[in-house]
Amino acid sequence: MADLMSHSEFRVALEEAFSGTMAKDASFSRAWATGKLHKQHFVHWATNHYHYIGPFGDYLGLMYANTPDHARDAKDFLLQNMYEEELSDDRHTDLLIRFAEACGGTRAYVQDRNNAMPFAKGMQGWMYYVSGRENFVVSSAALIVGLESQVPSIYRTQYPTLIDKYGFSEWEAEFFDLHITSDEIHGERGYQIVLKYADTPELQQRCLHYVREAADMRFAYTKALYQTYVEPDLGPWVEEDERQPALVG
Amino acid sequence: MPRIYFKTVDRYVEFAEGEEVNVLRMAIREHCDVPWQCASGNCGTDRLVVEEGSENLDPPRRRERARLGDLVDEGYRLACQTYTRGDVTFSWDPDQVGLDDEPGSSDGGGSRAGWAGTG
Repeated sequence: MADLMSHSEFRVALEEAFSGTMAKDASFSRAWATGKLHKQHFVHWATNHYHYIGPFGDYLGLMYANTPDHARDAKDFLLQNMYEEELSDDRHTDLLIRFAEACGGTRAYVQDRNNAMPFAKGMQGWMYYVSGRENFVVSSAALIVGLESQVPSIYRTQYPTLIDKYGFSEWEAEFFDLHITSDEIHGERGYQIVLKYADTPELQQRCLHYVREAADMRFAYTKALYQTYVEPDLGPWVEEDERQPALVG
Repeated sequence: MPRIYFKTVDRYVEFAEGEEVNVLRMAIREHCDVPWQCASGNCGTDRLVVEEGSENLDPPRRRERARLGDLVDEGYRLACQTYTRGDVTFSWDPDQVGLDDEPGSSDGGGSRAGWAGTG
């Protein structure tokens, strides 16, 4: 059995648990960041993302119910996170739909579950499972540290590309700009909760397991976006610096 | 190694060379007592005065410009919206509240915008 790690050791272990499989490095993210996608690809991305993160308030609500009263700071964080997703300003899913509409999609198309990949439905089901069935520390590690804390690293690369290469306005792309900053804070608060309440070796190891699983889930889902929607148009993804001369251009 | 100096609490926080870090995230991580509420650029509770190193900060974002207005020109930034890539010094009023909750604010309480300020 592993020993109980100090907070600093545990934090490093959490960061390393998803560092090798970050969604920013998946083919769809790379194609996005290098300006290769078309607007129709973004409609598909927004549709699938809607069904993946649309119920985030539900996930947080389940985690809230599973959090004991003595962990009041954790309960308050989850409630605040839920409020910010849904009510504090524009509803985040409405910002996502605004982006889809700027790409030629419609609200009805995005909200129709039949237009999402099985991978997106699997992601949603996994998140309902973890948030509803796991210890609140473990679900915080999975959803907040493993998934939400990755968001700034993804969107800080993708947002400037949306403005500079794809020609979207700041208003159309507000979903991304908002999450660059808000998920920095949500992610950090998530770390603080997990570091504080994962107070046994078993809980720490279970958190690490679920952070790895969360990163694997998001990476596979992001890769599937490319294979499903982009590969038929652009072919298999190859990084620019790995392309043979004949393939360039 | 670059560092953020949170002057009001006399704390230095270092970060890796070549990185850009969110100021509020670093303050929360290192328990530097920067006041904050919403983390979305809505409430303005986390406004800081940039005393040195403004050249190392990224430009104010749309939400930050909208929230701070003329305060941007007076050297204020919102910690939640600001990234730094080098040395910088910040100070603040430890008792400050959201901009809509300031005495005399016309937008405090009741309205959705005021409600967001408490979020």
